[in-house]
Amino acid sequence: MSTGQSLSRKLAFVLLLWVCAFTLPWIIQATLCIILIIIRYAVPPLRPVTDRSAKAFSRFILYSIAVATLVIFLNALLIKEGEVSATVLGISLHEGGLVFGAKTASRLLLLSFSILLFFISTPLPELIQYLQEKGLHPSFALVLLLTLHFLDQLPARIHQIFLAQQARGAPVDSGLFSRTKALFSILSPLVLSSIVESIERGTALELRGFLERPDVTPALERRVSHTDWLTVLLILLAVALLTFRILQWLTA
Amino acid sequence: MADRINIQAFSLQYSAATPRVLSSLILEIPRGTCCAILGPTGAGKSSLLHCLAGTMRRHHPESLSSGSIQIGDRLFDGLPPRVLFPAVGLALQDPHVQISGVRDTVFGEVLFTLENTSQVPEDPSAVIVPLLRKLGIDHLADRKPTTLSGGETQRVALATILVARPPVLLLDEPTTAMDLAAQERLRGILRGMKQTTTIILTDTQLDFALGICDQIVVLEQGKVLFDGSPGKFLRRMEEFRALIPLESWLPMKQNILRLVEKPTRFGSRLAATLGIR
Repeated sequence: MSTGQSLSRKLAFVLLLWVCAFTLPWIIQATLCIILIIIRYAVPPLRPVTDRSAKAFSRFILYSIAVATLVIFLNALLIKEGEVSATVLGISLHEGGLVFGAKTASRLLLLSFSILLFFISTPLPELIQYLQEKGLHPSFALVLLLTLHFLDQLPARIHQIFLAQQARGAPVDSGLFSRTKALFSILSPLVLSSIVESIERGTALELRGFLERPDVTPALERRVSHTDWLTVLLILLAVALLTFRILQWLTA
Repeated sequence: MADRINIQAFSLQYSAATPRVLSSLILEIPRGTCCAILGPTGAGKSSLLHCLAGTMRRHHPESLSSGSIQIGDRLFDGLPPRVLFPAVGLALQDPHVQISGVRDTVFGEVLFTLENTSQVPEDPSAVIVPLLRKLGIDHLADRKPTTLSGGETQRVALATILVARPPVLLLDEPTTAMDLAAQERLRGILRGMKQTTTIILTDTQLDFALGICDQIVVLEQGKVLFDGSPGKFLRRMEEFRALIPLESWLPMKQNILRLVEKPTRFGSRLAATLGIR
């Protein structure tokens, strides 16, 4: 399987999952989330590219489960529909709120897991090369490249600024309050340095003729020369689901 | 083929409300020579390079310019309207930003420039590997460009520009992250390129420029304070001690001048090493 083919399938898979997030019942969405967590190791094209991204994904799963629980709890607390399903610390949680919270949480989880899984399993160079082969305009490629690079470098940059603040005697690691306060002091250098670096990186790419490049890269062979039936099947499935949901909504 | 650069009464302001960054600049850089632009931070060195590379108009559309810039047979009234690569190649001060991140290896990163300019040869290795070898980074060809050290990144960044063989090469403080061995190697490469390339480099100190440059220009607040040969600069260096760190050169000045003026073999070798005629 070529890189281009693998990326086409992955993109179609993400599209299908996004459609699922808006069309299928929440219980299926939640099941899909669990399947996604499992298959990231079982399916080679979905394996994280680096150990760092694997750890980031694992961390994200933990955080998002915490956020999902909070979303469900808040909805159950605020929406007082149906019978009381449970009582926690003297607070009554209603069935209608719980279901609505579960729906919202599973949708958010499925959307975020699918997109994150795509990015952690796709090396940036491969993605840019693929999109350019597919005819993406260099300006859009540049914006995408700068954005993804910024996101990739963000943790390291925050750590660097934290160290710099620490070296100046700022109490950045002495309790939650200090850390929160320090967060505000890093925002300005973080934003400014990111803007400056993005401009310089864009300039450097321009200086290498990136925006002038021809539509088709001569050095690279077009890797998808014939129809990939799995990609087509995934897209058709997504379209069918969407059509079915729209029809269901119109006839309801 | 190298191009001559002629700058006539060129001035630049980033906007109408800001002072001039470059002021009535007159410079003539003959084809196939190397010119060092020296000066303190904020003198306008990098701005001048961006004007010549054609990035200034694009990034500062509100900037005001007057005078003319001629590069080879192309004459621009004011700023060039677009990026002039591959006719003019500019290596930026921070080499890390020059690495695109769109290729997994150093080889691919260098090849990426050729892809952008549709100059990919039948066998890219025949062009890229000798260049990497020349820069002393051929052993890094399969390494990920974002995992290299500062000096290595600087040389990879340089390779990404040199591979397009620009007739005019602009280097913005090229030795910032390089150790002395890497600087010497770069000096050798630039010396070898002078036949086919006009080189302009900026620096805040004299050390790297001497020995490869045929012309030294001192800029301060956008104005040319000095324009002449390295020999002429050595004779007048006291005038610029407030702008350029010259502490290590000043005590040796008289001895250097006396030695290079003597018709001895050592004198002529020293003169050749320092680029003094």
